[in-house]
Amino acid sequence: MAEPLLEVSDLTVDYLADRATVRAVNHVSFSVQPGEFLGIVGESGCGKSTLLFAVAQLLSPPGEISGGKVTFRGSDMVRLAADALRHMRWRDYSVVMQSAMNALNPMKSIGAQFKDTLQAHGRSSAQEVRERSAEVLSLVGIDAAHLQSYPHQLSGGMRQRSMIAMALLFTPQLVIMDEPTSALDVVAQQSLMSKVKDLQQSLGFAVIFVTHDMSVVSRYSDRMIVMYAGQIAEAAGTDAIFERPLHPYSRGLMDAFPSIRGPRRRLGGIPGSPPNLARPPTGCRFHPRCPEVMATCPTTEPELYNVRGARVRCLLYAEEADHAG
Amino acid sequence: MAGQAGNSAAPAGEALLRATNLTRHFRLGGMFSKRMLHAVDDFDLAIQEREIVALVGESGSGKSTVARLLARVYSPTRGEIYFRDRALKSLRSRKDMLWYRGEVAMVFQDPYGAFNPVFRVSHGVMRSLVLHRPELDRHQRREEAKRVFESVGLSTEMLKKFPHEMSGGERQRVGFAQALAVRPKLILADEPVSMLDVSIRAGVLNMMANLREQEGVSILYITHDIASARYVADRVVVMYAGHLVETGATEDVLQEPKHPYTQLLLSAVADPREKLASIAADSGEPPKVINPSEGCRFRWRCPYAIEKCADVTPRPEPLGSRLVACHVAVANPDRVTNSAGRTSMTKS
Repeated sequence: MAEPLLEVSDLTVDYLADRATVRAVNHVSFSVQPGEFLGIVGESGCGKSTLLFAVAQLLSPPGEISGGKVTFRGSDMVRLAADALRHMRWRDYSVVMQSAMNALNPMKSIGAQFKDTLQAHGRSSAQEVRERSAEVLSLVGIDAAHLQSYPHQLSGGMRQRSMIAMALLFTPQLVIMDEPTSALDVVAQQSLMSKVKDLQQSLGFAVIFVTHDMSVVSRYSDRMIVMYAGQIAEAAGTDAIFERPLHPYSRGLMDAFPSIRGPRRRLGGIPGSPPNLARPPTGCRFHPRCPEVMATCPTTEPELYNVRGARVRCLLYAEEADHAG
Repeated sequence: MAGQAGNSAAPAGEALLRATNLTRHFRLGGMFSKRMLHAVDDFDLAIQEREIVALVGESGSGKSTVARLLARVYSPTRGEIYFRDRALKSLRSRKDMLWYRGEVAMVFQDPYGAFNPVFRVSHGVMRSLVLHRPELDRHQRREEAKRVFESVGLSTEMLKKFPHEMSGGERQRVGFAQALAVRPKLILADEPVSMLDVSIRAGVLNMMANLREQEGVSILYITHDIASARYVADRVVVMYAGHLVETGATEDVLQEPKHPYTQLLLSAVADPREKLASIAADSGEPPKVINPSEGCRFRWRCPYAIEKCADVTPRPEPLGSRLVACHVAVANPDRVTNSAGRTSMTKS
């Protein structure tokens, strides 16, 4: 396999609170190949946004990376100085935030915000700025005339797409997206997703896409990571997860959305809510909500087992992994 | 009366709430501006007792304006709303308004912004009880608060919590409990699950179905997610740019959508098992309807548009057991076919 574009190994992030340390990301490892589309799925509070922030080196106190490495194109980002990071941001990797609708400056036109970014990285001739801005805006399907528009003049979907345009100003190799579609309605969501996929395929950048709605990424991602309580619960190819999800939590997530075809069946959802990470449950962190809980689950902490081409953290597969390995 | 159209798609029986020709325009700019935004135009709706009706459309289709008109946050520019055959216009006194607000309760989209953070969540429930059910004494109010909390699936311990101590799903349940406390006949739920995690949504949707069974309330469920509408609603009403475009029994409409817009909405629902090829590459949005001329408001996005669509505004007309506002579909129902609908909406 080729050298991965991004390699995250044993990443651990703590939030230091007065009384307790909250471990939001707990020894997470994964890699992203050039041009790959990776989906990260989990409920609110599972640490998926913290993970992204840690990867993008955007954590601010009280959040702190307490262990692990983030290797992007050969250099360990955790150790890079702020100055070196500033040069890489936007140019080598960019981040599209969850509230991209509000991430734009309301006092500046879209074009002026593009110009700021371009000039900060040395593209300063007026003509170059104008051409590149118009180019990326039309890439995401917005008329270049909207460079003069202010954010409030655009709809939610258009604001989100212009954020993505901004992320593509330098055609970075990695675009990190934190729930960019969650504030949009279903139609806008689909059109945004197919746009992102088109661009990813034509421009060849890699995407890390975080969402709580498995059905959003399912049609677009190559691989998927399901996170629960700061840990990887399951990681596998998207098709594999959808055809035979191994972890009971992945199954629960898949049964949570209603379908428009087939018989109307009662949705289970997942009972209960995600654990408080200041006091995570003993043993398997999912056991209080798990429909397949066994006697050993509350006491034995499962490892991330390699079975059937996937990585899964569930004691159901402990034996199988033993035999295989 | 123009309301006939609205009723023919509804099951027989006297409607709990009926709106006819409901219209709301907003003036843009100054007092003398001539620019009128048509948020809702000639909209008919009927909700029966113990019925869950889903109002479906994209952002900007006017569905929240309908909810606010029904909740009397806005008053209609034109048209009438009848609740139990009393015209809302005739309700003027404080006593009448209190009566109406006791019969029709609202649940809001944002469970994070809907509660006062300095009060325990019991505060809202208690206040509605004091206001709307003065016959209860303090002890009875407490019992009643416990009852409504239990009926939305929360433990009575939760009454003592502050909003920040609860998850989004729990808060949304408190919203429903607060609405239930006044013993309403109708709950207007404006996108109650769209801000919740997918894993929590199913629980809230199931709770809505239970409320109808146990408390006998009707629910107007406003959503952009047509799949969740299928899950709970008896009937769907699809809106586009302030107009009703299609309405009928949920299964009829969803299995065989007749209006091209309904087909577009359905094609946007992500079905994980489907391959990329069948995705609608439509990137249009509902237009801002300012001083509109005649014509179908969907025609710019419609793959079937004909000349007539630009000249004559289609009105909802019966097609089988449903109403469809589309010249092409009504004249030739097979022209706009549903099975092809999923693929025919893709950009070719």
